[in-house]
Amino acid sequence: MLKRTGVEYVHRRNCVIFLIPAFVLMVVFVVMPLVDVVSYSFTDWDGISQKKNYIGFDNYKALPQMEGFSDMLVATFAFAIGMTFVTIVVSFLAALVLDKKGKGRLPRGLMRSLWFIPSLLSGTVVGILWRIMYNYHNGVINKALTTLGIERINWLETYGVTNIAIILAAAWVQTGLCIIVFMAGLQSIATEMYEAASIDGAKGKQVLRYITLPLMAPSITINVITTTIGAFKAYELPFFISKGLPGSSTLLLTGRISFYAIQANRYGFGSALAVMLILIIAAFSLMQLLYLRKREDIH
Amino acid sequence: MQRKNRFSPKGLLEEFLLLSMTAIMVSPLFYVMIGAFKNRSDIVKFPFSINMEMFTLENFPTAVRRMDFFESLLNTSVITVLSLLFVIIVASLAGFAIARAKGKLFNTFYAATMTLMVIPFISCLIPVIVQANRLGIYGSIWGCIAYEAAWNLPLAIFLYTGFMRGLPHELQDAAYIDGCSTFKVYSKVFLPLLAPVTATCCIRCGVGMWNDYILARSMLNSVKNPTLMVSIYAFFGDRANEYGLAFAGIILASATLVVVFVLLQKYFIKGIAAGAVKG
Repeated sequence: MLKRTGVEYVHRRNCVIFLIPAFVLMVVFVVMPLVDVVSYSFTDWDGISQKKNYIGFDNYKALPQMEGFSDMLVATFAFAIGMTFVTIVVSFLAALVLDKKGKGRLPRGLMRSLWFIPSLLSGTVVGILWRIMYNYHNGVINKALTTLGIERINWLETYGVTNIAIILAAAWVQTGLCIIVFMAGLQSIATEMYEAASIDGAKGKQVLRYITLPLMAPSITINVITTTIGAFKAYELPFFISKGLPGSSTLLLTGRISFYAIQANRYGFGSALAVMLILIIAAFSLMQLLYLRKREDIH
Repeated sequence: MQRKNRFSPKGLLEEFLLLSMTAIMVSPLFYVMIGAFKNRSDIVKFPFSINMEMFTLENFPTAVRRMDFFESLLNTSVITVLSLLFVIIVASLAGFAIARAKGKLFNTFYAATMTLMVIPFISCLIPVIVQANRLGIYGSIWGCIAYEAAWNLPLAIFLYTGFMRGLPHELQDAAYIDGCSTFKVYSKVFLPLLAPVTATCCIRCGVGMWNDYILARSMLNSVKNPTLMVSIYAFFGDRANEYGLAFAGIILASATLVVVFVLLQKYFIKGIAAGAVKG
C-alpha cells in the first residue's frame, strides 16, 4: 500500500499515461496499415470489391513471373549501388578539401551551404528540373556537351544511359547531406593524430591511408547505409525524370508499387511488392543497427 | 598546425578543383534562377547568360495561377506546421517517459518504435488509402496531418529520448521534492530545456513534410492542386514545354525551405550531423 502512493509509483504511472498519445497514433496510423499490407499480400483483392479471397503465397509466387521482374530488380539495385557509390566518392573528396582551413582558401561556410542546397529540394522538383536538363534537343546538358565538341546523348531514351541519368540526379541531392556527416567525422579526428604522423615523417598519401581513412570508417559506413536505404525508398525523383522509360528499364520497385496501387488496382499483388521493399530495407537497417551496436561496444 | 595554414601550390590546386566541382553542383540552381526570368527560347539558346534584354517577369504570374500557388502554399504550410506541432508534443511526452522511467514496458515501447522507423511510407500506401476511407478522413487535410504526424513520430521519439537521457536525474528529483506533479516536471522543468532537440526535430521531420508528394497526392486527390509539391506536377513531362514557367514553379515551391535554411543554417548542419552520428 505504501508503494502505491509513493512518488516512484506515481511517476511511473504518469509516465505510462504520457506514452498513450504516441502509442495510439502509431498503432492506428502506422502499425495497422503495416499489418494490413501484409494481410492484403495474401489475397487477390482488387481494391474495389467487397470480397478479399485468401490465396496464400500465390502473389509471392507470381512475383518472379511479373513482366519485367528481373529488369525491375536490376534497375533498383543498380540505382541503389550507383547512387551510393557516386555520392560517397564525391562527398568524401569534397569534405576532405572543405575540412582544410587557412589563408587564401575559399570561404568554407558558403561552400558547404552551396553544396547542401540541393538536399532541400523535393524529389518532385528535382525530377522535373533534371528531366528538362536531360532533354535531347533543348536540354542544357546536351547544349554543354555540344559546346565542348561532344556528341549529344539521348539521356532519357537509351537503355542503360537513363539509369545513369537518374543516378547522377539522385547523387546531386544526396551529396550535401553526406558532406555534413563526413565533415563532422573529420572534425572529430584529433589534431594530435596528424601532428604525430607528421613528426614521424608521414606524407599526404600515407596520412590519408593510415590515419584519415581508418578513423573515418564509422562515418563512411553510416553514409553508405543511409544512402542505400534512401535509394531503395526513392520514388518521385527517378519516376519524374524518366517515367520508367525506356521500356520499363528505369521503373524501380517503388514505381511498381505505386503503379499497382493507383493505376492497376491490383492491391493484393502490389502489397506483395511492398512487403518485398520492407524486407529489403529491413535487412539494410538491421546491418546498420548491428554495426552501431558493435561500435558502441568498442567505446 | 602551422603546415595547414600555409598556402601552397597544392592548396591552390585543391581550391581550384573544389571551385570547379562546386560550380558544377551549383549550375542547375543558377540555371533555374536565371531561367525563371527568361522566356523559353532564351533559356534553350543562352542557358547561362544574364542579359537585361532577356529579362521578363511574365513567368511568375502564370505559374502562380496554374499552380494555385497561394492555396497550395497555405495547405502545405498548415499541414507542415500542425503535423510538426503534434509531433513535438506527443514525441516529447513519450521521450520524457522513456528517458525518465525504468521498466520493461518502456524499453519494449522504445524498441518497437525504433523498428517502425525503418518502414518506408510508400510500402503502406495501399492500406493507408483504404483505412483513411474507412475513418472518413480521406480527402481531408486532417487525414494528411494524421499520417504525416504518426509516420514522423518514431524518428522524433528517438531524438527526444536520446536528448533527455543526457539530462541530469537531479532535475526531476528536485522538482518532486518541491511538490511538482509529473506533468509539471515535464512542462516546467524539462520542456524549457528541449529547444535544441526541438530544432533538430523540426528540421529533420519538417523538410520531409514540406516536400511530401505521395501522401498529399493520394490523400487529397479530389483537389487539383492541394499542396505545392503536387501542384508543381502541372509542369511535368510533355506539358513542361514552357521551361520558364516550370522554373518559376520550382522557385515558388522551393523558396520557402531555402530561405528557412539560409536563416537557420547552424541548426540545419547540427541537426543533420547529430542525427547521423547517433542513428
